[in-house]
Amino acid sequence: MNRFAYLIGTIALLFSMLSPSAQAQDKKATISMDLTYHQQNDDLPVLRVYASSKVERRFLPAEGVEIALFFEEETAQGFMGRVETNVRGMASLRLPAKYKNSWDSLTNFKFIATVTDNEGFEDESVEIDIAKARIALTLEEEDSVRMIYAKLSALEDSSWTDVPETEIKFIVRRLLSDLSGGEEELYTTDESGEASSQFDLTIPGDVNGNIIIGAKIDDNELYGNLVATKIVKWGVPVVKDNSFAKRSLWATRDKTPLWLLIFPNLIIAGVWGMIFYLIYLIYRISKLGKADKSI
Amino acid sequence: MSHQQTISSEKITSDLLPQKFGKPGMIWTAFLVVLCLIGLFAYYRQLRYGLSVTGMRDYASWGIYISNFVFFVAISLVGSLITAIFRLTNVGWRTPLTRIAEIIAVSAILFASIIIIVDMGRPDRFWHLFLYSRLQSPIMWDVIVITTYLVLSVLFLYFPLLSDLPILIQNSKPGSRIQRLYKFVGSFWKGTAGQVALSGKAIQIISVMIIPIALAIHTVTSWLFATTYRPGWDSTNFGAYFVSGAFLVGAGGVLVAMYVFRRAYKLEAYITEKHFDNMGKIVVMLAFLYLYFNINEYLVPAFKMKKAEEHHLVSLLTGDFSVLFWSAIFFGMILPVIVLLIPKGRKPLPAFVMGILVVIGAWFKRFLIVTPTMLSPFLPMYDTPESYKTYWPTWEEWSITIASLAGALLIVTIFVRLFPIIPIHETIEENEQIKPEQV
Repeated sequence: MNRFAYLIGTIALLFSMLSPSAQAQDKKATISMDLTYHQQNDDLPVLRVYASSKVERRFLPAEGVEIALFFEEETAQGFMGRVETNVRGMASLRLPAKYKNSWDSLTNFKFIATVTDNEGFEDESVEIDIAKARIALTLEEEDSVRMIYAKLSALEDSSWTDVPETEIKFIVRRLLSDLSGGEEELYTTDESGEASSQFDLTIPGDVNGNIIIGAKIDDNELYGNLVATKIVKWGVPVVKDNSFAKRSLWATRDKTPLWLLIFPNLIIAGVWGMIFYLIYLIYRISKLGKADKSI
Repeated sequence: MSHQQTISSEKITSDLLPQKFGKPGMIWTAFLVVLCLIGLFAYYRQLRYGLSVTGMRDYASWGIYISNFVFFVAISLVGSLITAIFRLTNVGWRTPLTRIAEIIAVSAILFASIIIIVDMGRPDRFWHLFLYSRLQSPIMWDVIVITTYLVLSVLFLYFPLLSDLPILIQNSKPGSRIQRLYKFVGSFWKGTAGQVALSGKAIQIISVMIIPIALAIHTVTSWLFATTYRPGWDSTNFGAYFVSGAFLVGAGGVLVAMYVFRRAYKLEAYITEKHFDNMGKIVVMLAFLYLYFNINEYLVPAFKMKKAEEHHLVSLLTGDFSVLFWSAIFFGMILPVIVLLIPKGRKPLPAFVMGILVVIGAWFKRFLIVTPTMLSPFLPMYDTPESYKTYWPTWEEWSITIASLAGALLIVTIFVRLFPIIPIHETIEENEQIKPEQV
């Protein structure tokens, strides 16, 4: 009897260990990461990482995932910092200042993002290799013709060399996103690494007419995302709308347009004047009635 | 009128004096009071729990309260039609109808004011409308013009009533409460030449004044809609469209009231078949006019069928509201025209039935003006619950709306109990002046 009970117990234990539910409890989800490099003007670059995981056949942003970022090597020496993804699965980190000298001197460098010892996800690691490049932006205006010039060059053997045949965009920075600032959506650098476009847009700037014009390369396999921007008075100065402070149909009641105050009030006064006159007539009728003793 | 010539002044007085309620009158009054009490309970719930007890949500923020408001404003226009326009144009047969029209106007405009407060989420802040009024807002124009029309309508009811008060005082029980009421209202009226002249002058002034005010009240109400940019409301025709509809429902309402008072108080000698015949013809003319504006309002946009307006027009013409829409058009306008064009259709009973159809059709027409537009915004809201995209009034809304209609009828009922619904003095005067060849 005891042997039989022991056998049943062992089988039940084996089943529970092999059952899908037991497996599911132990199994961690896989995480997918996308690491990108962003550099503007001469600022230190920013690393952005986007994490997502597959839930019910769809990739959804992975929120609250801690990701370690490394410069050049996945060691304590190369550890830049740890970031946590937001609700959109994104996190970013500017290259710490202590790596500035290394970053300045290197022509090629590597960034690594890792997820390790996470409760919900399996370990994962991605890396990107970047070749150092820069965009030189020049804005010129001659005879009312405004031109944008961009020159793309890469650091090779301690010297800057022109980068031909690379796609580049001219942009105007707006509040929510970039507006195309060139005649074409996309340009390609020539043999000397240059591209240019006439700037024809008439768009509002700040109160002084300042707008931000730039040239950028997006998601380039070698150079990542590079942007060069300059502030220039090529916009239309914005005159502040203070119509709420003036008399208007949409202003507060103390700023009712004069015509709307005068004419309706004249009509109202005229009509109500007549109504009060009618009430006065009732008074006169009653006086006549009280004065008449004959009836 | 032919009968009137043979009627003595005493007979006219005894025929037209207000009468105590009989059993049907008591049941009718009690029925109206019960409806009002149910409405008051529903309004208590609305005050207690807020507008969430209604079916109104982010899409349909104007429901049957506003439809009902527009209906009341519309039917109130009848006072100016029958009393003022007929008086100024010397329409001889108007006398038995003037007071009916005026009391309908007063009760309707009073409940228009009340129902608009019911639609407010915070009625305790009603006085803010006056304290913080902005003349830029069409709502403020409506507040001003409704108040003016209410006061003017009360005066228009009051001045012609003065000459009946001595008769009422004389024929009421001395010292009774009702006699004290009559004395309070106008014991000073002695019918002297000076008083008659002043009263005549006042009536003449009101007759002239009330016509533009009455047109303004409904035009301004239409502007509440037309000044907003929404499908179905974005129209320059709206003022004339509303005014023509108001005249129709008012005339229909008078037809109904004429029949009811004629039957209830045995006024066949005063409200004759000729009155029904004439009012029937007026209803036909007004129904044609309103049909014309309806064609303007719906056929022209439907011919163009702009994408942004398509949802609204389709919902009316072939969609969710189509049965109601076509019923309101057919039963509220086309059928009354057909029936009332036939002389036999202008007899009291068929005219009464057509009047009821006009009034009911007009109520639902106002619902169709308000709600389908609210459910068809140019810019649909994002991520709203599916239930917000439809509107059906809750029992609280129905109860309050029905109570408001019952309240208006209750005012008319109580007025008829206290005052003659046909002017006694004026009828006697006309009876004495009438010449045989005019018969």
